[in-house]
Amino acid sequence: MRLAGRIRRFRLLRLTAGQLEQVGCASAQCEGIMRFILIDKVISFEKGKRLKAVKGVSLAEEYLSDHFPKFPVLPGVLMLEGLIESASWLVRNSEGFAHSMILLEEAKNVRYKSFLPPGAQIEYTVEAKTIEENVSSFSGVGVSQDESIVEARFALRHFNLADNDPTLAAIDAAVVENMKNRWKLLWQGSTGGK
Amino acid sequence: MRWIWIDKFVEFKSGQSAVALKNVTLAEEHLHDHFPGFPVMPECLMIEGMAQTAGILVGEARKFSEKVILAKIRKAVFFDYVKAGDSLMLEAKIESLAPEAASTSGRITRGEKLIAEIDLMFSHVDKNLSGKEFPEENFVFDDTSVFDSLLREVASQPPGPGAAESEQE
Amino acid sequence: MAMSREDILQQVQEILVDALGVDDDEVSLESRLMGDLGAESIDFLDIVFRLEKAFSIKIPREELFPAESLMNNPEFVSNGKLTESGLKEIRERLPHTDLSEFEKDPDLNKLGDLFTVNAIVNFVDNRLNAA
Repeated sequence: MRLAGRIRRFRLLRLTAGQLEQVGCASAQCEGIMRFILIDKVISFEKGKRLKAVKGVSLAEEYLSDHFPKFPVLPGVLMLEGLIESASWLVRNSEGFAHSMILLEEAKNVRYKSFLPPGAQIEYTVEAKTIEENVSSFSGVGVSQDESIVEARFALRHFNLADNDPTLAAIDAAVVENMKNRWKLLWQGSTGGK
Repeated sequence: MRWIWIDKFVEFKSGQSAVALKNVTLAEEHLHDHFPGFPVMPECLMIEGMAQTAGILVGEARKFSEKVILAKIRKAVFFDYVKAGDSLMLEAKIESLAPEAASTSGRITRGEKLIAEIDLMFSHVDKNLSGKEFPEENFVFDDTSVFDSLLREVASQPPGPGAAESEQE
Repeated sequence: MAMSREDILQQVQEILVDALGVDDDEVSLESRLMGDLGAESIDFLDIVFRLEKAFSIKIPREELFPAESLMNNPEFVSNGKLTESGLKEIRERLPHTDLSEFEKDPDLNKLGDLFTVNAIVNFVDNRLNAA
């Protein structure tokens, strides 16, 4: 991987600015550099209704060395992020990737019940209460070895940057394209729900 | 990705309230994933920034003797998204403080603009999570050098008046 | 400060909606905090904190929600049921709660059913208006 990166950089040096932009978009940056993805795999998906995903906790993840140095555990807000991402994928797939931006609007009564150390795996289940054009609401749980770890109620909002500024339509398209590729990655190898 | 979501405290009234600052920068790698081509700060990390601001406030009220962990997000509401170049102010206030837990309220602003309202509950784990496995020593407030750095500008501020009264035994 | 039961109920309802993330119409006088509204340990503290603020009273957690310490005490619990001394204890600790139904079969799992919205309203009413 390191070598491939070097070769790519070496090639870049000889390209013009215009070409650079093109190559840049095919390289790691435009594909997403995979440093803020808090689920590993989607295991089942029912359009408009429900999605299940899993995340393993690994000591290779850098933030664990700060949280906490002598007691590494998955931070609670990243469990919430796992639920948000799961719900975002449910929305994207239910509405045919119609929006580039899906953000948390509100979280209520998010409760943490136990710690999740390296080596553990958590399974998230999100259930849609409503999925409308620009808002959706969910209940979600995270379970590890039959023990409930996190529970939440939350709402997302979905929109395109072009809604407010038509010149940003190209960015919307690029983000959506990127999300479609990321979905393929998360969905590959899944057996359920196809 | 490291796990420090505030840059410094700008105000600290022991047992009462605190204000921390967070700069959002393109040098933070996770932003480029959320989203590729249009980086915005993930909402859950703003919640964490508030949890660190309020958690240190709650921890300091008991002289960092308790293991203070986030037990519940009572409410988190967001009014606008946050991009690189933004400077956020995170204001946290202790609502209730008891031997086994504390509740806080907070708001995040960018200049005059309200970005989020975030109310949290913290648990003092020794008194609440018996039966779960966790270290004897205080793993939360372990590395005091981090707090020294965060508190560098406010260390000399005297405790606020009435700090003692806000405690409930 | 005199406050009618309706006013107290309304405030208690608002508190439970905020603390438990439930909808207004889910909270009636008969609702059980655990069974119907999904309350857990940390929520009980949250509710106590909010009641204290809303009504300007101090509530020792043990007084309103004594279940946890009872449940773990072998003197009060045997074979998953409350013993005679356990029942005596809970009568003393929950003077505002109707225990007649529970006493017929003092199953530990049903202890949570005693924590109803009505019990909270009774507790607050007693605190505010008894003196």
